Amino acid sequence: MYYFDHSATTPLHPKVKELMSEVGELHFGNPSSVHASGQKAKTLIETARGQMAKAIGCNSNEVVFTGGGTEANNLVLWNLIHQMKKHVITSVIEHPAVLNVLDNLGEFGVTYTAVGVDETGMVNPNDVQNAITEKTGLITIMLANNEMGTIQPIADIVAIAKKQSIILHTDAVQSIGKIPVNAKELGVDCMSFSAHKFYGPKGVGALFVSKGLKLKPLIIGGNQERRMRAGTENTSGIAGLGLAAELAANNIHKTQTHLNELADAFKSQITYICPNAIFNGHPEKQLPGLINVSFPGFRNDLLMIHLDRHGIAVSSGSACSSGDIKPSRILSEMGIKDDINNSTLRISFGYGNTLKDVEYLTRCIKSTLERIRSAA
Amino acid sequence: MSEHIIVGMSGGVDSAVSALLLKEQGFDVECIFMKNWEEDSEYCTSEQDYKDALLVCDELGLPLKTVNFCNEYKEKVFDYFLKEYAAGRTPNPDTLCNKEIKFKSFLNYALELGASRIATGHYARLDQQNSSVLLRKGNDGNKDQSYFLFMLNQYQLEKTIFPIGEMTKNDVRTLAKEKGLPNHDRKDSTGVCFIGERDFTEFLHQYFKPNPGEMITVDGKIVGRHNGLMFYTLGQRQGLGIGGGHGKKEAPWFVADKNIKDNILIIAQGHDHPDLFHSQLSVENVHWISDESPSTKILNAKIRYRQKDQSCSIEISNDALTVAFKNPQFAVTPGQAVVFYDGDICLGGGTIVNRN
Repeated sequence: MYYFDHSATTPLHPKVKELMSEVGELHFGNPSSVHASGQKAKTLIETARGQMAKAIGCNSNEVVFTGGGTEANNLVLWNLIHQMKKHVITSVIEHPAVLNVLDNLGEFGVTYTAVGVDETGMVNPNDVQNAITEKTGLITIMLANNEMGTIQPIADIVAIAKKQSIILHTDAVQSIGKIPVNAKELGVDCMSFSAHKFYGPKGVGALFVSKGLKLKPLIIGGNQERRMRAGTENTSGIAGLGLAAELAANNIHKTQTHLNELADAFKSQITYICPNAIFNGHPEKQLPGLINVSFPGFRNDLLMIHLDRHGIAVSSGSACSSGDIKPSRILSEMGIKDDINNSTLRISFGYGNTLKDVEYLTRCIKSTLERIRSAA
Repeated sequence: MSEHIIVGMSGGVDSAVSALLLKEQGFDVECIFMKNWEEDSEYCTSEQDYKDALLVCDELGLPLKTVNFCNEYKEKVFDYFLKEYAAGRTPNPDTLCNKEIKFKSFLNYALELGASRIATGHYARLDQQNSSVLLRKGNDGNKDQSYFLFMLNQYQLEKTIFPIGEMTKNDVRTLAKEKGLPNHDRKDSTGVCFIGERDFTEFLHQYFKPNPGEMITVDGKIVGRHNGLMFYTLGQRQGLGIGGGHGKKEAPWFVADKNIKDNILIIAQGHDHPDLFHSQLSVENVHWISDESPSTKILNAKIRYRQKDQSCSIEISNDALTVAFKNPQFAVTPGQAVVFYDGDICLGGGTIVNRN
């Protein structure tokens, strides 16, 4: 298989896989148990916490492990129901794990303003500033978008939030491993992560919670995770997350160079094959290795089926539960018309891809475009 | 290289066995799940249908893809459906869905993907003659679906395979079980796809405001009020709100007619009331599968799905077609399809516009 869908999910890094099977097999003790096996498990979790903290530039006691990125977002957002200030500022390009949660919080008195984006998919910090009311208690804007990869001006938004003492959360699920992510430098209060987006396992995530901020748990039970997330820890998953985070952070510059090289090669080859192809997103402030490209006149579902036959995995819009493709809401928000929207593919490269893979991909795109053109 | 066939996979056992048979016959088979209706509530089963289709394709080792024809369905089928209801008629969306979606949008899509033909799990048979293709009834007399296919043309039929047309539903289920298909005992879907399991009148209420009027008997006696003519179907018995009187064993009432102009619902008492029966009807949008009107004018016809063949004679003048039945027909319903047969050959049909 030729896998170019790393923004959807990534394969396990071999070292992560090795560690996880070792932990699952040998260190199955309950981390809350006092015997040696429990202690070892506890040690593994705290090692992972340290790795994660180092990777994102925070202290170990600012990391809470969760059951994924969606849960991390939920943990922050549901705390709004305990707040006095229940107005939230977010953006129209957030993941459903933010927007749908906010919709559901409506019945608990939470209201929100979703600021728009420009044609590059960028939020304007002035819009955030203008949306602030005396009731605003939280700003949640993602660090980089999953569909077109535009990196948001979080530092500017943090500055605005700080002035008014508003809590700032950012969904950094897509960013870690692709751009440097440093909690202290960004100055955010909360930040969500998901292990499977950076070569770790599925079903594990983490939330950075800045020191001094105490969140009430969503999942209530024992005293794990400083009482912010109850339940016996997923030891192997957390260990896997920790190592994956360490690898991601240590290799960040190498990864960026590699991903940029692949993306540049892809773009120049596609421009040659299909001169009217449109690259969506921001020309510079862009996650490396993520390309959102429209092929005007070609339905993306047809393109995907043809490419799938060549063993190529790419993505388009957002797949729904019945496996069909809808026009991307994100691209619509950027002002992209439906016919262009419906001709869009997302290609997201990973560290395992090579220039040869890119050539195979562009060759298959070329033959697919030719086939569809001749059938029409 | 073997012939490339794309099977329309619904999640049901009929299309699953169709794919199975084609695969066993050595075709290069690919499956596509058609999504024609956006899930708007718990009633729409398309998510579960898709999961069933996935499990079947996994068992068969066949690729499955989804295509979305929601826009096409809305434009070509659903808008017509609403327009007809608004006009007081009772349309048949399934015949139109076959003509416009399954055997047009989907067929074109499959051809674009490089398939030479499509296959579906309909109970009907195709018989390639020298110069034309005949559409024949499915061998399962109880399941025959040729009624829903009468709007198809020669091109569409030439590009189609009905792999289970020779089989009975029972055979299909038995084979599915034998081959370990996970949906072998899934219950048959009923009703119109976009309405699913929900109450039909309740569904219509989402689209039409009540427009109450008088309910009168065929003798002109006012007996009550109705909610809006679109919520009633000719021949309908339930839901009139005027059942038998106190302790009296009264025969039930049926919808006999709709006076659209004056917004009056006309009802008749007793299933055998003569006003519920008509021997003649006129037809619009006539379509002949062979492209030519039949040489013989004495035929059989069905005015609803699964009705027994009814003997009739047809008369064609210009664009108009009239049908005279040998026996009077219960609840001849404008908007519904009348479909003509010569033996087991489905000749075509049209939309009922009037009866007398």
